[in-house]
Amino acid sequence: MDAASLRAQIEAQQPYAFAVHKREQIGRIDTGVAAIDGITGGIPLRTLTEICGSNTSSSGKTSVLISLLAQATQEHYCALVDASDSFSPESGGAAGVNFSRLLWVRCGKSMAKLRPLEQAFKVADILLQGSGWGLVAVDLSGIPERIVRRVPLSSWFRFSRVIEKQSAALVFVEQEPHATSCAGLVLRISTMPTTFSANLFTRLNLNIEIVRGPGKKPVQSENSRFSLQTQWA
Amino acid sequence: MFACLFVPDFPVQAALLPEEQARRADLRRSPIVIWDGPANLLQVVARNNPARKAGIEIGMTKLQVEIFGGVIARKRCAAEEEFAQHKLIGCANAFSPRVESTCPGTVILDLSGTEKLLGNLESVAGKIERLAEESGFQLQIAIASNPDAALYAARGFRGITIIPSGQEAMKLARLRVNVLPVKPEMRETLESWGIRIFRALAELPEIPLTERLGQEGLFLQRLARGEIRRELALTDEIPRFVESYEFDDPVETLDSVSFVLNRLLQNVCARLMSRSLATNELRLRLNLEVRQREKGMIGEKYQQAWKLPVPTQDKKVLFSLVQLDLEKQAFIAPIKKATIEAMPMKPRMAQGNLFAPPSPEAERLEITLARIRGIVGACDGDGLSCVGSPRLLDTHKPDSFTIESFSSVATTSSATATASTVALRVFRPALETSVQVTGTVPNLVRFARKYRRVLAASGPWCCSGNWWNNAWSREEWDVALKTTAGIGLYRIFRDRIREQWFVEGIFD
Repeated sequence: MDAASLRAQIEAQQPYAFAVHKREQIGRIDTGVAAIDGITGGIPLRTLTEICGSNTSSSGKTSVLISLLAQATQEHYCALVDASDSFSPESGGAAGVNFSRLLWVRCGKSMAKLRPLEQAFKVADILLQGSGWGLVAVDLSGIPERIVRRVPLSSWFRFSRVIEKQSAALVFVEQEPHATSCAGLVLRISTMPTTFSANLFTRLNLNIEIVRGPGKKPVQSENSRFSLQTQWA
Repeated sequence: MFACLFVPDFPVQAALLPEEQARRADLRRSPIVIWDGPANLLQVVARNNPARKAGIEIGMTKLQVEIFGGVIARKRCAAEEEFAQHKLIGCANAFSPRVESTCPGTVILDLSGTEKLLGNLESVAGKIERLAEESGFQLQIAIASNPDAALYAARGFRGITIIPSGQEAMKLARLRVNVLPVKPEMRETLESWGIRIFRALAELPEIPLTERLGQEGLFLQRLARGEIRRELALTDEIPRFVESYEFDDPVETLDSVSFVLNRLLQNVCARLMSRSLATNELRLRLNLEVRQREKGMIGEKYQQAWKLPVPTQDKKVLFSLVQLDLEKQAFIAPIKKATIEAMPMKPRMAQGNLFAPPSPEAERLEITLARIRGIVGACDGDGLSCVGSPRLLDTHKPDSFTIESFSSVATTSSATATASTVALRVFRPALETSVQVTGTVPNLVRFARKYRRVLAASGPWCCSGNWWNNAWSREEWDVALKTTAGIGLYRIFRDRIREQWFVEGIFD
């Protein structure tokens, strides 16, 4: 019996045995950074995305987040869960964030019993229970790495399962990736030599690496360089 | 034409109104009495038909009633009767905007001009009866050409009575005189004359009657003939939607309070719905038990108000808001009385916009925000809200913003995304630091417990303001520091008033 007849015999019993199931086309939100959008196509909806970068060096992760918020708030209602209350409305305004469509949750500011990380996770959970959000961003970059590392994998798994059913993007901004395979897209941003022009800081040169992306194995990372100008440049 | 809605044994029906429909039907078959008065001298003030048949009379004491056995007794509750009356008015409002609340258990509505809308009088009466039945009332309904004829017909006849115009005297003829507002001495006089029914009173000659009983006697006779015509005393156009409950014993547990608040909200929402209204502002007042202090007695109360972005009639949404707030509170004394008030307004009549972005459901969003506030807190130490939309203040002072309440309705996109720029990650509050300066340029900056060499510096950028009040003055520098992870671009500043250096944030 040759392969074709064997295949025909199997398909007679199981019609979809050899069918290739294509992934459902999912929407994306542009980050506003051409270099990132060029290699990733934007931040995917229904997926958990991690944007990582160092906390002590100028990695550019906050700039990417704010640029993403500026793009997303043009068309969607967005929520920013700020675990360390480090969002700068001035930077947001300069990037063009539509504040009327942005819900900013400042964690760790009151005498609440929970720690900022727990607050951020609980708030993200509540936001994802409701519908209507286009982007839920959780900024954990101000939380020490040793604390975020303790978050159990089950929490990340639950977030990835919940966001699959929502027409929204879930973005975590951290120092290191923690969600492992639960994340559909992992971007690592790092700094390059910075440009000072005549005693004026004008440009931040950055390198972006796709640690994990759709259809790519973790080892097949992709790099790209880009630069961001300062507001006064 | 005028229709009168009369609720027989109103205190009994009012007491049964909060019960489930099936339970209410069961209870109606049992003898029920409502009593009132001081605890040691309770007397029957109302009873239903089974109790009447059993021989229970108005004015009987608790001891006398207990002899009968199997009698369900309830204490009279003014709040229940008030709620029932509001509900009855609501029923009437469903058919006419011109309604008179004549007395507890009786309302009269003007049906003039509603024929084309509601159909003939029999049809209207049937509709009113069905709506009242759904609302929990068993009514006696009468329709007549004047309010008083309708009133006495409703009080005197069971079921539905329709009196054609001009036949009032004939239809009312069989009614007993004691349904009229007759003073006791006049009733004795009429009794001595053998006048017991309307017909007998109506047939008396007018002049001799006026000579003996005065204008009051003549007025009674015209009532008996159905000749009095008057304007309705209309109820207030916008009533207050307030419900309150006073506990017999002050309660300490949240469950007990929540149960009562849920019921109060149910009543408020039912009243709002009956008038096709909604609310966008809810007020809660809890009176706490009066505590004894050294200088006399003082009362304590807790008040809270919620403003909603869109008006709602959903009691679940309102109850969730109240419950989430109460869960956070720790009361210093047991709760004695709970009052809920809803500010009425027209419901939102907005059709979804096909071209608007999907947004969180406005009614549910308030609950979501309340739950988030329960986790992160409502305000920070400076009184700024922890949950909301940021808004930049019109000032040159860095990091000046306020937080406005977030709403998913009526937002317009005023900002447009610009080319990506470097953003500042702010440290709140700014980190106090020490800086070594060579000349005027920072050379070493102490950060994360280490002195770090400044690789490049840009500055100083000086700014100041508010010299008249809370003055601020600063000298900003953008510095590149060598860190373990690479180069960090930080914004540092010197507070020229306090002569202290701070790290404001990192360009990230």
